[in-house]
Formats: sequence, C-alpha cells, structure tokens
Amino acid sequence: VTASFATGALLLSMALALLTHGLASSYLVRQREASTVRQAAVNARLVQSALRQPGLPVLATLASLEGPAESDQVIAWNGGWASSSVEVGPKQLPDGLRQQVLDGRAGRQRFELDGESRLAVGVPLPEVRGAYFEVFSFAELEATLRTLLASVLAAGVVTTVAGALVGRWASRAALRPLTEASAAAAAIAGGRLDTRLPPDDASLAELAKSFNAMVDALQTRIQRDARFASDVGHELRSPLTTLAATTEVLAGRRDELSERGRRAVDLLSAEVAHFQRLVEDLLEISRADAGTLDLVLEEVRLAELAVRSGPVARARLRVAESPGAEGARVRVDKRRFEQVVANLVNNAVRHGGGVDRVAVEPAGDRPGRVRLVVEDRGPGVPETERERIFERFSRGVGGGDRGLSEGAGLGLALVHEHVRVHGGTTWVEDREGGGARFVVELPSVPP
Amino acid sequence: MVTSILLIEDDDRIRSALRLALEDEGYTVHEAASGESGLAAFAERPVGVVLIDVLLPGIDGFDVCRRLRQDSDVPIVMVTARDESQDVIAGLEAGADDYLAKPVNAKVLAARIRALLRRAKAFAGPGSRRARLAFGQVEVLPDDGVVRVAGDEVHLTKTEFRLLVELASTPGRVFSREQLLETVWGYDYFGDGRIVDVHVRRLRVKIEPDPAAPRHVLTVRGRGYKLAGS
Repeated sequence: VTASFATGALLLSMALALLTHGLASSYLVRQREASTVRQAAVNARLVQSALRQPGLPVLATLASLEGPAESDQVIAWNGGWASSSVEVGPKQLPDGLRQQVLDGRAGRQRFELDGESRLAVGVPLPEVRGAYFEVFSFAELEATLRTLLASVLAAGVVTTVAGALVGRWASRAALRPLTEASAAAAAIAGGRLDTRLPPDDASLAELAKSFNAMVDALQTRIQRDARFASDVGHELRSPLTTLAATTEVLAGRRDELSERGRRAVDLLSAEVAHFQRLVEDLLEISRADAGTLDLVLEEVRLAELAVRSGPVARARLRVAESPGAEGARVRVDKRRFEQVVANLVNNAVRHGGGVDRVAVEPAGDRPGRVRLVVEDRGPGVPETERERIFERFSRGVGGGDRGLSEGAGLGLALVHEHVRVHGGTTWVEDREGGGARFVVELPSVPP
Repeated sequence: MVTSILLIEDDDRIRSALRLALEDEGYTVHEAASGESGLAAFAERPVGVVLIDVLLPGIDGFDVCRRLRQDSDVPIVMVTARDESQDVIAGLEAGADDYLAKPVNAKVLAARIRALLRRAKAFAGPGSRRARLAFGQVEVLPDDGVVRVAGDEVHLTKTEFRLLVELASTPGRVFSREQLLETVWGYDYFGDGRIVDVHVRRLRVKIEPDPAAPRHVLTVRGRGYKLAGS
C-alpha cells in the first residue's frame, strides 16, 4: 500500500514538476523573445539615426547601445558589416534571416551557435540601406531553467518521500484495528476461544465491542455444544455401570440359562460392550472438542506400544519394524494412543476381514517422522470415501455391509482427533495387492 | 479367607449391580449410601477394601477418603464420574490407592481389587527382600512395615510403603513409571502414570526434610524416579 502510494505520489509530483518547468520555461522564453524584439527595434532606430550622422564611428555606436550583456549586435551598412563581438559576425547569422532582412523585411529566428541556443532578430534600416541584427544568447536563461528544473524535481522527490512516510504512518494507524482484529480472528479460528480485542483502545473501541460480543456468543455456543455432549456422556455412565455389571452377572450364569436365554445374554453382552465403547468415545471426543484432553505425554517405542495395545495383544499380532524405523520412538499419551491402535485394528476386523499386517515404517522422504500402518485384505476404501470415513458417525464402506450395528461410531474420528493432537496425520490408501492401508504419521523422537 | 468390601455409593441401582458382580467374584460386600453412613460402617466393622464414589450427597468422596486415611491404611479405590485429571489427582491426593472411571467394568474392578489385596498381603507375610534399609535420616523395616525418620515412626499407607521399599531395593537405579505401576500396583502396561506421580509426592511430604527440594526420592526427567544412592 505504502509503495503504491509512494509510486503514485512520485509520478504525480514528477508530472507536476515537468509541467511547471515546461510552462515556466516557455513563458520565460517568450518574454525574453518579446523583450529582445522590442529592444532590437529600439536599438535599430538608434543605430539608424546614428548612421545618418556621418562621422560617427559605427563601433562607438554599437558600444553605446543598451542591452543585456549576452546579446551581440551585427550591422550591415553601406555594403559593409560591423559586429560588436568576434564571436558573432554576419557569417554566423542564419542565411535565410540575413537575406530576408537585407531584402527589407524584419524577422527573427532561433538557431544554434557553438552549442548555444540563440535568437537572432533582424530589423532593416531602409534609411541608410542597411540592416541591424541583434543576436541574443539563451545560455544564461537556459542555465536558469536547468536550475529551476533541478529544484522542482528535487522538490518532487522530497514531497514523495515525505508523502510516503506520512502515508505509511497514516495507513498503519488506519489499518491497525483491522490488523489486530484479523490476528484475533485467526487465533480464535485456531481454537484459542478466550482471545479478545482490548476494549480500552480508542481507535478500536467500536470494532472491539462488536467483535468481542460475537466471540462471546461463539464461545458460549461452542462450550454449550461441548458440554452437552459431555453431559450426555456423563449421564449415560451411571445406567451403563449398572447395565454392564448386571450383564456380567448374567453372563457369569450363562450355563444356567436355556438356549434362548443364552442367545439373549450374548446379544446383551455384545451390545453393552459396544454401548460402553461408544459412550467412552463420545466423552473422549467431547473432551477433545472442549480442549480438555490433558495429555500425559511419555516417550515410548512405537512398535512396543502397538504390540501391547489391547486387540493387538489379544490377537497376538506381530508388529514389524521396517528398515529405517528400527527402534523408532514417539512421545505420546499412551492410553490415548493405545486407543488409536485399538480402533484401527477393530476397524480392520470389522470392515477389512481382519488385520493383515501392523508395522512401523519410516515416513519416506520426511525425516523426523515415523508411520504406523495397519493393513487389511478387505475391499479397500474407495477414493471418494477416504476423507469421509474419518468423520463422526460416518457409516463404514458400502454403508450396510455389516451384520452388526457396531462401527457406525466414532472410532476412526477419534483416531483422527488423537493423532492430530499429537501433531500427526492420518489417512487411508490402497494396500498393494488389494485391501486398505491405514497410515498414522507422527513426529518421532530423535534417537 | 473371604475379603469384605465396603461399597460407598449413593445410586441404589449401581450399588446393587456392583454388589451382585463383586459377590460373583467372591467378595463379601457391605453397602453404604452416603459418606456419613460409610464412615460409621467402617468404624463399626473394618473391611479389606473400600470403594468410594466421588459424588456423594453430604460429605463427598474425597472427604470420606481423607477421614478414613486419618487412622487407617485400608486400600481405597475411588470411583470417579469422570477421568479428568482434576478428579483423579484430587482422589489420589486425598489418599486413595487407585481410581477407576465410570462406567466401571466389574471385571476390571475385581482385578484392581485383587492387585491391591495382593500387595497389602505382601507385607503381612515373611519373605521381604531385606531386613532393614536405611538412607539419610530414614530407616525402613520392610518386614514390620515401619518407617522411621530421624528416629520417629512415620505412618505410610501400604501403597506408599511398597513404593518406598521398591525404590530403596536398589538405590541409584531409575525406575520408570511403568515398572513401578507393574511392581507396586500390579498393573499392565497401560496404567496411569499420574498415580505414581501423586504417590511419590505424598511420600516426599512424609519422609523428605524439604518436600519441594527432595534429597532421597529424586525425579529423573523423562525417565522416572530413583532413590538417591548413598
């Protein structure tokens, strides 16, 4: 902004300077020409009357003439010539003018002599059959004009710089509220909901008031939403505790039940477990939304963490460390990360026909990062679904290819959320030879 | 021997359900519906383990825990309605040995109780590693469950005591939180490291001359804790 203002000011002041100079110089030149012509006419009359008095030396006449120092006079008279200076003689006069005046018509002409611009004015002297020329040099005038040009240009530059500085200061002052507001808006978008504009700044007062009111409303709204999810989760915890405990009691007496009773208890147990996971995930994700996750970060070997996480341990899966990722360590909240691994494995079991491979791999061309991959041999995830499956309550691939109600949940959304708060990224891609390959990329701890 | 559990929980249904489940696991369960009645029941008939719900009408779970701790080192498990740090730490600071977040899984709860009882018993029987441990002004008699600081006996809970004995078994060796959770609490890999931190803090208050600048139980940043070598 400042630069464009400065450029504009520079162009404008230069244009004004040149225009001023142009007008001034043409005015001065015209003035000088006019006065030269007038003076030449006066001098011509003097010379003519002097020449009519015989005996008066021509040169003395010339010397007696009035006129500025920078003019030279040339007189043609009685077929001879006389000149007031050695520089300018009849030969130096422009031919056309000389001839025209000798023929009896007055005239004037600009011409160059020795690199100087001059004006020659010729007046015929009919009474003595001669002619009077006055040659005026513009050298001094041009020097003056050059000085004038230099000074108006300098004034232009000074004006521009001053203008730029003032403009910069003024635009800063004018834009500062906007700059602060946009910084605050960015902070809020980044999740720092307690950001406010200082209300005591006079230049900001109005903006700050409405801005802060808006953020207050937004914050209340967001907190209410997060609190609602969290309250729902907490309210569900008590009945769920009762449900889970009594279901366990029933399951423990499975053998005492009839065939139908057993089937009912099995269904109940499975759904209570699912319900329990769902509520825990809901609480976890509402904590993430409210920014109250408080992570307990510890440094661990990624492969060891993966191999110890619930479903991996239960299925006795191996977790390979690919070359380049041997002993890779990460700084994570173990409980949360165990959930990440468990959810990925559970997802593979439900939608990919079981886990094919869990491995720790180097992050290709990205040093300082490491990947955990969970691969299955299922149908894979179509391109269009790859973002969506990490959304909350998105149905799995193909919608209803499951016999259970399980999975329409928060598992992958929670994976995504947890990995994000650990400074990592999650995505799914095609596994070589068919199937899905879920990748979690995390910053690694330098060895 | 059948272990009895005192269950302090105000929600009738949860109390009944947990009672059924814990009885199935082989425990005798006594119920109390409020903090006051729980304290009274404990005074009348001591039990092996106390389970306290944090949210109780009247005096809350933290207070019940603190009052029990005044003259008993009975193993205490807090049942929190939420597992946010605040509640967990407050419960542990109040003197609980362990915590569980609702919804409580009865199998997990039973496993925790078994682990607590196991280590509580470890001091009752013989077979402790060393007869006497001493460092600075502190003297530990593992077999008798006695700790003296500058000659005066200091009362530690069973968990604090085990933690101290574990650290003192090899002075100078660094124990990670996981190791301590495994050996002292009987946890698997995914125990909560905050339990260790809070217990170390409580231990320091009891045995360090200046708990803010510990000389015996030292923190090794990013790795764990150790007892200063002699």
